[in-house]
Amino acid sequence: MLDWVWGFVGGLMIGGAAAVYLLFNGRIMGASGIIGELVDRTGWGNWAERLAFLAGLIGVPYLLSLLIGGETHLTSNWLVIVLAGLLVGIGTRLANGCTSGHGVCGISRLSLRGIVATLIYLLAGGLTIALLRQVIGVI
Amino acid sequence: MMRRYGLAVLSGGLFGAGLRISGMTDTIKVQNWLDVFGTWDPTLAFVLGGAILPMAVAWRVAARLERSYLGLALPAAPSRDLDRNLIAGSILFGMGWALAGLCPGPALASISFGGIGGLVFLLAMLGGMVAAPALRVRLDGAAPAARPRSKMDIRALTPTYAVSPQIELSDLPAIKAAGFTTVIDNRPDGEIPAHLHTPHMKAAAEALGLTFVANPVIGGALTMENVRLQSKVMADATGPVFAYCASGNRCSVVWALMNAGHRSTDDLIRTPAKYGYNLEPLRGQIEAFAAESGAGID
Repeated sequence: MLDWVWGFVGGLMIGGAAAVYLLFNGRIMGASGIIGELVDRTGWGNWAERLAFLAGLIGVPYLLSLLIGGETHLTSNWLVIVLAGLLVGIGTRLANGCTSGHGVCGISRLSLRGIVATLIYLLAGGLTIALLRQVIGVI
Repeated sequence: MMRRYGLAVLSGGLFGAGLRISGMTDTIKVQNWLDVFGTWDPTLAFVLGGAILPMAVAWRVAARLERSYLGLALPAAPSRDLDRNLIAGSILFGMGWALAGLCPGPALASISFGGIGGLVFLLAMLGGMVAAPALRVRLDGAAPAARPRSKMDIRALTPTYAVSPQIELSDLPAIKAAGFTTVIDNRPDGEIPAHLHTPHMKAAAEALGLTFVANPVIGGALTMENVRLQSKVMADATGPVFAYCASGNRCSVVWALMNAGHRSTDDLIRTPAKYGYNLEPLRGQIEAFAAESGAGID
């Protein structure tokens, strides 16, 4: 099947997951917030719910990978991996959201912060890729 | 409540499966989506579109609910503050996302098959998350974010009791900083916007270490129980008490009645009058209370 069809189907599942988390657990499904507030201790009040979410988030793709495999094609450049991880960690916590919190949950709610954050990280990402691939010729 | 945790596993699992099936755990697909001038891959637009559809419906459903289907509090209305943290953070996140092609959700979802590289990315990301709060404070200090327009005005009737018109969640740190230890909400939830209802205010106040008590006074239908509860909260408080309602008027009336007999009726009417609260029509009632109780709490 075409990539975009899989993309759309996967997207519906992501949105469905966010809908369950909102309508039942009463919470916004933001990956960076769920784990970030465990790491900085601000979310210890409901740690069990966060760990349960993370168990599903890590466990189900593991089971799927046994059936259909999985390959991330991540760069093998350690410097790039560490730098990217740090930037994603710091950036999502400063902005209080990532692709799921600001992107999926924010835009669908027409939240000004969600829409602005998404436009900015898409623009920053696009410029970074253009610079690295087209101008400098790395990655 | 086990269902809460079961549904969290279900939600996380569905999220993870969706990320894997949509191709978002493949860093090359993500980088190609961002590569508008090169090998552009539009898949991510379909993923985002597909995810927004059910969520847009869910938000509409949630807007009609008082609480979630499990009886839990729903998220507060979103802030509209476009502060420096949001902008700087989004720029840094976009750069990191482009560099490796991973954002937090897929980084977690692919940890079982992402090899040592995926693990190193996750550890670096967690390290960044630990460092973020210190950076956030510095940015806040550089540019105090514009607060949403609030009606809060701390009007001290005594050194230990102040009244105010309706406050916002964002006012609580200032109330804490002003030295108050207890906040009383004298307004029934029915007349307040949903994001300022008791559960939200209570959670935010308690997160700051403030005691929060809801003592709803129905306009024009104040009860003895209202007066008794307000007195008890005052007696139990370890420091100054901050009470709010729509204008601060009801908080002043309750205060006058609970102090009836303890302070002169003239004083009980004159003090709120400094802030424009007219208790003159209640003079008879205050005097009746004074005759009955004798002693009140300041």
